[in-house]
Amino acid sequence: MKKEALFKKMSGSQEIVLTLVLILLCVIIQIKSPSFLTMTSINDMLKNNAVIMLLALGMLCVLLVGGIDISVTSTSALSGMIVGLLLKYNIIENTLVLFLIAIGVGCICGVLIGVIISKGKVPPIIATMGFMYIYRGLAYVLSNNQWASAADLGNFKNFALGKFLGINNVILIAVISYIIFFVVMKWTAYGRKIYAVGSNSEAAAISGINAALIKLTVYTIMGGLCGLGGALAVSVYSSAQPNMMYGQEMNVIAACVIGGVSMNGGRGSVQGVLIGALMMAVINKALPLVGIDSIAQNTVQGAIIMVVIVLNVLMQRSTFKNSLKRREM
Amino acid sequence: MAGKSGRNISAEPQNSLKNTVFSWEGILVLIFIAVNVFCAFLSPNYKITNILREMPKYLAEIFIMFPMVYVLVMGDIDISVGSIVCLSATLACMASNAGVPLLVVLPLCLAIATICGLINGLILTKFQELPAMIVTLATQIVFRGIAEIALGSGGSISLSSTKDFKILAGKIGPVPYVFILVAIIAVVFALILARTSFGRKLYAIGSNSETARYSGIHVQKIRLIIYTLTGFMAGVCAVFLTSVLYGANTTTGSGFEMDVIAMAVFGGVSTAGGKGKMIGAVISAFIITCLRIGLGLINVNSQIILIILGALLIIAVLLPNIAALINNMKKMAAKRAA
Repeated sequence: MKKEALFKKMSGSQEIVLTLVLILLCVIIQIKSPSFLTMTSINDMLKNNAVIMLLALGMLCVLLVGGIDISVTSTSALSGMIVGLLLKYNIIENTLVLFLIAIGVGCICGVLIGVIISKGKVPPIIATMGFMYIYRGLAYVLSNNQWASAADLGNFKNFALGKFLGINNVILIAVISYIIFFVVMKWTAYGRKIYAVGSNSEAAAISGINAALIKLTVYTIMGGLCGLGGALAVSVYSSAQPNMMYGQEMNVIAACVIGGVSMNGGRGSVQGVLIGALMMAVINKALPLVGIDSIAQNTVQGAIIMVVIVLNVLMQRSTFKNSLKRREM
Repeated sequence: MAGKSGRNISAEPQNSLKNTVFSWEGILVLIFIAVNVFCAFLSPNYKITNILREMPKYLAEIFIMFPMVYVLVMGDIDISVGSIVCLSATLACMASNAGVPLLVVLPLCLAIATICGLINGLILTKFQELPAMIVTLATQIVFRGIAEIALGSGGSISLSSTKDFKILAGKIGPVPYVFILVAIIAVVFALILARTSFGRKLYAIGSNSETARYSGIHVQKIRLIIYTLTGFMAGVCAVFLTSVLYGANTTTGSGFEMDVIAMAVFGGVSTAGGKGKMIGAVISAFIITCLRIGLGLINVNSQIILIILGALLIIAVLLPNIAALINNMKKMAAKRAA
């Protein structure tokens, strides 16, 4: 009896099913191409996708409060570009200070979006669409359409090559962020308030939660993560360009949705996002390994996203049916 | 003002001059005039003939805006339109290069786009739990991906003979065909939305799709029709875009979805559904087109135009909200004083 209950709980939990799918995916790829699960390959994969993984964390919070943010990569590009320009003209060369500046720029961008959405009552998709144009445009205007190339970046690009405790710095930042978010979302009052606002904004307000403030902070956190992500992207790809990460905001949202985060708010978890982001990373890395032509990669990736979200719906339907059956008894 | 009973209990006649001027559409007309004056002030080349010459480049997008207004009024969204344009334009160019006559290429292009729209609609109506944003995001990637596969490693295609498509880019006097077609389609779409029961059903779905369903509206059938229509109009856009660009590449039509949604929202259409008029969206589309032409004439960086667009978009939605907030505060203060 107990065993059966455990099985039910496991098959009902989306994260576990997703993990199984992810493991299955890895096994299939490993059989097809033995070079997949080597240390260097995994390292590369995580390093190249760390920025998306970071942004997905912020996107989780935004989606949880029932919002959406499609300006994320524009914010990243703006703060990344500012870092690149500061280095190019030799104004600041300290890596830590540069990171703090990038996060600061991101936070300011995020606060602006948050105020417009929470105080101005502008729908999130419209507000972030506007800021997507504005921040991307600012990145172009500030840089005057110029790049900051690897030669300009000096010591900054070494950050992505450096290691701490045997783990690449970039991956380490992603891991630490995931741990912090896991704890905050699960065990702190602030995290639970985010869920409360997302499930029912009005009920949350009546029970004494300042919903507008929570929304404002969520967009600020998103902005801060975007700033960090922008600086990391500059370091990883050792160049800063105004069009960097163009269009990637959709990958960020897709990673969240694959991980079971609801677009209507209130449902989703950090571990789900982790699995969703890892799945996107594995798909990206594996498609060339299993011999799919690089031209066809986008199509296959889009198709996989579609299949996963449809499977999600089918699974939810079956659990809903099961719970209905139980009620009838 | 409509009262709670839904009857019109305002002392002021609905179509009074005051209401017309102070409605959002009235303000948009003023902005339109202001933008034109501003552009004429900026550049001596901002003349009717030059505007009409530049227009076909920008007008193709507006074809997608019409069905997008329907989609937004229903409370849905479709961000795959840019990719549908890319796919159908690519395949049309390939067919044309293979020697297929224009009269076959055009229906083919429209059919491909319609099928893409139908796929969106089918997925959305079969799996109603799925948010439109995510489904059209996935199809956006897939449709553009198929175009990328078709284009191969070069990533672009140009028409070997531009003769056929040049017919489409023709003019009657100084007025290009596209302009006339846009005007006709705008009237048809506006009339359907405002004057037919089908149009009113869209508002009903957008206000509350559950209530609409209980009152006997085939919500899913209508959604399917609208998404298919959106695909079809993306095909029309692809045809005219090809007649201006004489080719296609992997980035053709990218960003169209955002431009089009921005136009509609700036025109007063709510993304939450149930609110908005076609006339507002059309005026705002022309405001943005004129602004682009004007700033393009004095060689302003296209990125600065983007910043202006973004700011306009946010301000357009923000201003009415702030006005309502101030009104509310005044009322509260008056209550407290009394």
